[in-house]
Amino acid sequence: MSEVHLKINGKDVVAQSGQTILEAAMTADIDIPVLCYHPALSTWGACRMCLVEVKGMRGLQSSCTTPVAEGMEVQTDTPDAVEVRKFVLELLFSERNHYCMFCQMSGNCELQDAAYRYGLDHFTYPRPYEKLAVDASRKYFIMDQNRCILCSRCIRACAEIAANHTLNLRGRGAESMVMADLNVPFGESTCVECGTCLQVCPTGALIDAHSAYGGREKDVTHVQTTCMQCSVGCTLDVVTRYSRLLRVDGVWDSDPNGGLLCVDGRFAPLYDNRKRLTKPLVRKDGKLVEVSWDEALETTAGKLKAGHVEGLALCATTNEALAAFAQLLAKAGGKAGTLEPVAPTLGYGTAAAVSDILDADFIIVAGAQPLDYQRVIGYFVHRAADKGATVAVIGEGENKLSERATMTVSYADAAKVAEAAAGAKKVVLVYSVGIKPKAITALKPLADKLFYLALSPARNGAGARAAGLKPLSPNGAATQFVLLGEQAEDEGLAAKLQAAFTIVQASYQSPLVEQADVVLPSPIWCEQTGHVTNLEGKVFPLHPALAKPEMVRDEAEVLVKLAKML
Amino acid sequence: MGKVTVAMQWLEACAGCEMSFLDIDERIVELLKHVELSSTPITDLKHPPQSGVDVGILSGGIGNEEEEEEAKLMRSRCKTLIAMGDCAVTGGICTMRNFFSKEEVLRRGYIETESTVDGEIPQHEDLTPLTDKVVGVGDVVPVDVFLPGCPPSADAIWFVLTELLAGRTPKLEGKVLKYGMDG
Repeated sequence: MSEVHLKINGKDVVAQSGQTILEAAMTADIDIPVLCYHPALSTWGACRMCLVEVKGMRGLQSSCTTPVAEGMEVQTDTPDAVEVRKFVLELLFSERNHYCMFCQMSGNCELQDAAYRYGLDHFTYPRPYEKLAVDASRKYFIMDQNRCILCSRCIRACAEIAANHTLNLRGRGAESMVMADLNVPFGESTCVECGTCLQVCPTGALIDAHSAYGGREKDVTHVQTTCMQCSVGCTLDVVTRYSRLLRVDGVWDSDPNGGLLCVDGRFAPLYDNRKRLTKPLVRKDGKLVEVSWDEALETTAGKLKAGHVEGLALCATTNEALAAFAQLLAKAGGKAGTLEPVAPTLGYGTAAAVSDILDADFIIVAGAQPLDYQRVIGYFVHRAADKGATVAVIGEGENKLSERATMTVSYADAAKVAEAAAGAKKVVLVYSVGIKPKAITALKPLADKLFYLALSPARNGAGARAAGLKPLSPNGAATQFVLLGEQAEDEGLAAKLQAAFTIVQASYQSPLVEQADVVLPSPIWCEQTGHVTNLEGKVFPLHPALAKPEMVRDEAEVLVKLAKML
Repeated sequence: MGKVTVAMQWLEACAGCEMSFLDIDERIVELLKHVELSSTPITDLKHPPQSGVDVGILSGGIGNEEEEEEAKLMRSRCKTLIAMGDCAVTGGICTMRNFFSKEEVLRRGYIETESTVDGEIPQHEDLTPLTDKVVGVGDVVPVDVFLPGCPPSADAIWFVLTELLAGRTPKLEGKVLKYGMDG
């Protein structure tokens, strides 16, 4: 890459070769309006908003697609350019339904902003009032063709970021429509509801059902935190207004997911309708009754002091809570461990970062179902496959990744994968608890160029490991202390845990909570403070977007306090 | 110099723009030093005087023949015509009916609404017929100043009036140019 010198609006700008005029202008703080351009997506050059004049070139050039050249002289706001932009906007407003007065994006819309910028005070051309389809067949978000400006950001986001290729354009000219698959309702399509299209939509064409009309940008608060729904640890931008959760967005350029989220991180937690635990409870005369924290802690400490205790954690909580849990149980003289199994260690290879998937030329998925449990990893594998990487699936039974994989083999044939990968430069092995020892042995010849990513089922399994907690089967101690957090327990867990006395630290009502003797209410993901460690071993912070209910206490704080009482 | 004469009329409107006009608060005292309000929907004089006015202000969209006539009358009797509010500028919220035929709209409104029993579409020579589509004032008569917003803010209305009083054509931009309720 070499330096290129150009002038934009008379200002000397140094750009890198290969950059576009728009990128060069952005680094020089020169504002060129855009609609179809989005920094996370490939350039398209369709909307004609970013047209600029380049000395010596005929007509106007779209600055988002025109590369910089040495000595180039660019003018961004000549009368011609401004007139064309205004004309483009007038045409856009004349076409579909761009009435701001009943649009939920008003105040938060890039099309509206552009119209303000160019002083549009009325519709210049008559409108056709075509009645276009509104597709509300998906639970979480709605597609309204009437608000669409055909910028194709959603289509590119679906293809390039989620690598799902559900969206496309049908028809020609004014009759072009965004469609899913071969024009089926979105809810019946291959859409995985990651919501990336929703996040990049510049208008009100894609509408989030949860936050629509709930508050404009000027009314809301943004807090960055880490997703706690699986072990990937994606960075979240949590949008709230007063004490209401509005929406979750991805954060472009953030680690480890680069802005891509999945349905479990972006949407599902906002629809959690389990009954929340908001007060400490102690069983009295066979019934759980509300008590003060002092009483709940004293009852708990009394039981822990009596000995014959075991601690079982579902690792959907912070590093701090897991460490405090291990220390508390050690002090009480009991065993502590996790309820989730852990993926085995390979004994060879190098630990991978999530981003390594994108520059591997051979990806092996063994005994793991990332498209179901760590979806962002699955989407990254799809992205690598789009770039030409070979994907091999090893395992038993169906794996959704097989559809886009080059080969799918059983454990018995794992050596064939090693053979196929022999010529590869960089191999990433994505595996989980399902991997069989013979596959681990079969892949060993690839050790020198193999980067591995272990997808353990526990959300903060790495945090538990750091706290010294290992998988532990309940052993029937007299007192069981279960750190459940906000995670929904597996069916049958309550039946397995039948200690004489059960203490549960949890956020929601559940079968286990119902049979507990002491219940200590926990915060949920958007109320948590502390840290989590993701599957790469990186530590990410948690920042509360909402205040905890009054009587809910931080898990680590409670556990430390209990330890002091022993 | 005499006072600037102003006439107002509302068409397919909700009176929200007029409320916003009153939100100029005590500035109205200053305004009335320079302006004489002639006809308005809430004064005895309902139509602009034959002798004409300097400034005509129309709010609301045009969705029936009477409103068309009102717009034409105002245009013929004022020097500068302001289309005030999103409905006057674009047709506004009533354009939602443009996605249906007139017949469908009337049937839905007078017969099929859930609370209606034995409804019928009213017909009388005094009732003005609906136009095919609801449109903005500018689609029927030439408009000099478009003042969008639902409603336009009091500051935007004040800006337009004071610019006109100063002999300038108002150019809306910045925080006085807003659509919908984006205020």
